[in-house]
Amino acid sequence: MESMIYAENLRKEFKKIIKEPGLKGAAKALFKPNKELITAVDNISFEVPAGEILGFIGPNGAGKSTVIKMLTGILTPTSGFCRINGKIPQEDRKNYVREIGVVFGQRTQLWWDLALRETYSVLKEIYQVPEEQFKKRMAFLNEVLELDSFITSPVRTLSLGQRMRADIAAALLHSPKVLFLDEPTIGLDVVVKENIRSAIRKINEEEGTTVILTTHDLADIELLCERIVMIDKGRKVFDGGLSELRHNFGDVRTFRFELVNGPDFKLLDYRRRFKLTDDDVCAERDGSSVTVRFDTAKVSVEEMISYTLSTVHVKDLNIKDVEIEEIIKKLYRREVSL
Amino acid sequence: MSRVKRFFRTYTPFTRAGMQEMVAYRANFLCFLIGEIMASFIMYFVWKAVFDSSESETFMGFTMEDMVVYLFITFLAGYLTYSDGAFTVGEEIIDGSIAMRMIRPCSFEMCFLFQELGNRIISVSMIFVPIVAGVEIYRYVQAGEVRFQPIYFLLFLLSLVIAYMISFYFNVCYGFMAFFFKNLWGTTLIKETVVNFLSGAIVPLAFLPAGLANVLNFLPFASLSYTPVMIYMGMYSYSEIAWRMGLQIFWLLVMYGLSKLIWRSAVRHLSVQGG
Repeated sequence: MESMIYAENLRKEFKKIIKEPGLKGAAKALFKPNKELITAVDNISFEVPAGEILGFIGPNGAGKSTVIKMLTGILTPTSGFCRINGKIPQEDRKNYVREIGVVFGQRTQLWWDLALRETYSVLKEIYQVPEEQFKKRMAFLNEVLELDSFITSPVRTLSLGQRMRADIAAALLHSPKVLFLDEPTIGLDVVVKENIRSAIRKINEEEGTTVILTTHDLADIELLCERIVMIDKGRKVFDGGLSELRHNFGDVRTFRFELVNGPDFKLLDYRRRFKLTDDDVCAERDGSSVTVRFDTAKVSVEEMISYTLSTVHVKDLNIKDVEIEEIIKKLYRREVSL
Repeated sequence: MSRVKRFFRTYTPFTRAGMQEMVAYRANFLCFLIGEIMASFIMYFVWKAVFDSSESETFMGFTMEDMVVYLFITFLAGYLTYSDGAFTVGEEIIDGSIAMRMIRPCSFEMCFLFQELGNRIISVSMIFVPIVAGVEIYRYVQAGEVRFQPIYFLLFLLSLVIAYMISFYFNVCYGFMAFFFKNLWGTTLIKETVVNFLSGAIVPLAFLPAGLANVLNFLPFASLSYTPVMIYMGMYSYSEIAWRMGLQIFWLLVMYGLSKLIWRSAVRHLSVQGG
């Protein structure tokens, strides 16, 4: 069976006009613009089978949104192509978008001046959802996203959390086969985030909707995604399951302890003792408590602990499990090469 | 389901939303309307002064009565054919919100058109009848007989609809200028003034030097309000009406084609950045 989403060598270049500062620069830019070619997405290929939730991560400006915009047919790739649900978005936009749902966390497709429920009735007609199905769908969306309390309010009066829930409901009204979520949890509080995550999970489980999700909140990734694609500077740097990520990028462990005598901290020099770099180990002191993060591929837990215990007086030591966040942080910090 | 029926089912919700929007901003609309009507009265007094100080009853073939009809019907035509819905398209391209339109299974300009029609329906229902009735009562009082001619009136309506469509596509084209200028506020002021002058909304084209008037008569701007107004006033013979409306349709096709061309190239160069 063919994948729901298939992208091959997607590439997007933008022309950027470089302006020199000041009035003279502006005049120069008007007549003889100094153009620079920027590659936002650099030959990215991946596939997503039907029914999967794929997390799309990468630092700001990595090109995540640009990929999503090409997949949804908004942008035309400079080269390469994508096929989703058997269709090429750029060739047959109107028919293609009938079967997808899109949420851009930073924008809204709701009708700003109208009561929320008017947007839904407009969408009902645009997507030609039959009355019976529309009622059922609204009831379902109400249940998972709790829209009832604000469905009669004008959209401009909604809070960010309400607006995001409303936007997600709008993207799901026509029961799309693929759902694209570009930062759906941006700027939301913990409760709303949880609400949105459980809605995504429920729709994926009950309807087998394929979901692509970009986010900076790694909790979204850990709780929702089976697989992640990470991109940086327009290139794909990782594609695989979460466990694979942990395995490939070394186990970053953290341990924390209390020093009996605070100033003793300067006696601990992990770097010199184990010949490590700043990337491999990081020790921070806050009063008498010390947090040490290190890469188990370079030095074992045992060595670290025994060195610590033999160098300083320690009380209350605990070792934390591997955190995905640590791996990602490490990846973002260094210019990843795999 | 037939294609036509499906087409209307898809786009009529936009009209409904446009109407609701208009109602939501009714105070804004009323203020705008009052301002515009006041401007028309200022023009009325200016022309009255011109006619009062003139020796003869007519001025360039217009009587004062004609002038009043011209002023108010021009105001009406100008208002009804005014289109700024599609003009937003350029701004949306720049701020990237065009993305939210592209994820819907509909055609952009049809969404704009039908949404604006919703706006128009409300405003037309509020000003059309009062102005036409007012003008006709004035004419009746001045002339002592009914001057209203149903055939010319119907042709006027038809011409007005074409004028609106020309205006719509013209503004779609204009909206894309936002691509180059990044901000359309200043250019809009210039555009409005130039279009007002070229379309005869300020001074009837017949008052201009013959050479200039001839040129302007062929430009698309005359099709925007001068043609329908002249038809309303019964200034044209039937054969003249036929070719004037032919010219209107010609300009409509040109504007339509141009907007399609620009749109196609714009989409290819679209770069929705940020967010």
